[in-house]
Amino acid sequence: MSYKIPMGPYHPALEEPYKLDLICTGETVTDAKLHIGFNFRGIEHLAETRNYIQVIALMERVCGICSNIHTLTLCQAMEGLTALTPPPRAQYIRVVMAELERLHSHVLWAGIAAKLMGFKTMFMTCFELREKVMDILQAISGNRVNYSMNRVGGVNRDIDDPQAVLKMIDALEAEMLRTVIPIFTTSSTARSRCAGIGVLTHAKAISCGVVGPVARASGVGQDIRKAAPYAAYGEMEFDVPVQPDGDVKARLLVRALEIMESCKILRQALSKLPPGELFVGDGKFDFTKMVTTTSTSRVEAPRGEVMYSVSWKEGSRNPARVHVRTPTFAVMPAIRWMVLGARLADTPLIQASIDPCYSCTDR
Amino acid sequence: MTQLKAISEKLGIENPWVDKGGVQWLEPGTVSLRELARAMNELQARFITITAYQLPKVEGLKLEYHWDMNGQLLGFPFKLAGNSIESIYDLCEAVDWIEREIHEEYSIDFSGREYEPLLLRQGDTSGVNLREEVAK
Repeated sequence: MSYKIPMGPYHPALEEPYKLDLICTGETVTDAKLHIGFNFRGIEHLAETRNYIQVIALMERVCGICSNIHTLTLCQAMEGLTALTPPPRAQYIRVVMAELERLHSHVLWAGIAAKLMGFKTMFMTCFELREKVMDILQAISGNRVNYSMNRVGGVNRDIDDPQAVLKMIDALEAEMLRTVIPIFTTSSTARSRCAGIGVLTHAKAISCGVVGPVARASGVGQDIRKAAPYAAYGEMEFDVPVQPDGDVKARLLVRALEIMESCKILRQALSKLPPGELFVGDGKFDFTKMVTTTSTSRVEAPRGEVMYSVSWKEGSRNPARVHVRTPTFAVMPAIRWMVLGARLADTPLIQASIDPCYSCTDR
Repeated sequence: MTQLKAISEKLGIENPWVDKGGVQWLEPGTVSLRELARAMNELQARFITITAYQLPKVEGLKLEYHWDMNGQLLGFPFKLAGNSIESIYDLCEAVDWIEREIHEEYSIDFSGREYEPLLLRQGDTSGVNLREEVAK
């Protein structure tokens, strides 16, 4: 006999509200239905009522974790509208901010995954590590969530103390190598909760069009930083970790290895930080001098590819349309396939293993 | 350029590709959306998204379909005669949520498929992003 178990919209395993209806036979999940929209704020529609500068502040609020990535992608799209190229120093600072954001996002996720595994000590370790990254982000920008770093044509603030960032990277990397990675890869708790659980096959990952670490954990080696480099990524040397197994363990491993790659990128960006201006232009966005009607930009966020399309409207201070395709929007439908055949008790960790952001998804 | 040429040849389109705003655009001409989706599948392109536009005044609606091929962003615009277009969900699983979202936001009907509410709740009215003239 099968029965339906609703998980959410408010549930201890969910960071934000969404709902998963699990159809079970005994303890085994035989089907699942996802329900989103609990955070639907109509941000894309709202963007049409704000001017080009206000839209930056609005879009920073699409997500509470990768707020910087949203303004970066939006500003790159708006720079495409007016053919503006930010100065080299701004491009490097954008890389630094994007990688710091990836670090804190991945470490946050590792902590949440540890909590869901029943591994509270690791949860505390990860959140302590994340705090170090947050302190650096606060030191650079003055903010801990919405950094307000990006502007059309560059960045708002400089990195005054690169040595402090490098010191934090050393400490984080040492702790990752000393405790986090060895424990996640060798402890019996982590192995029994993650290995062979929530598998998304390579073929299914491709047909669902998943992105980011979830795709890479299913053997799909795509990363916009490599495939279509933006900011100063073309000048950075780094690897894209790919794992073939498609299970929770592979997703864990991909993110852990990405943390190490982010440290590598940060060291390069900070050591090669070129001198010069932080932005071009006078800080005003000249909406009368557009070179194209629609501009699109893609960026590799911590959860995968983000895409913004911005269209201008002649004679208006407001964009005609701002469309956002977030990574979780592309990845979440695949949860249905990951939980098929899984034990009911594993579903909180499986759904969390995509590192979902429901606010991003709903917009 | 070889990659773009291969796509044009596969689709039998003679229109030139236009590099604009970070996208390689191709006017599909007489090629239907479903033919395009089949060709993209065969070429192993990765579906990214559909962007819906409500055109000014009474010009109607436009959809832009985006695929990625080896890091190159491809765009194919389709202007809608009414408020309906064929669904490609049976050809491309990844379009499921975006077709449902556009249906709710712009009241566009993707024919040939069934859909449940995505962002809205059962019984809510679709077309929440449609406007008269917002940006004045």
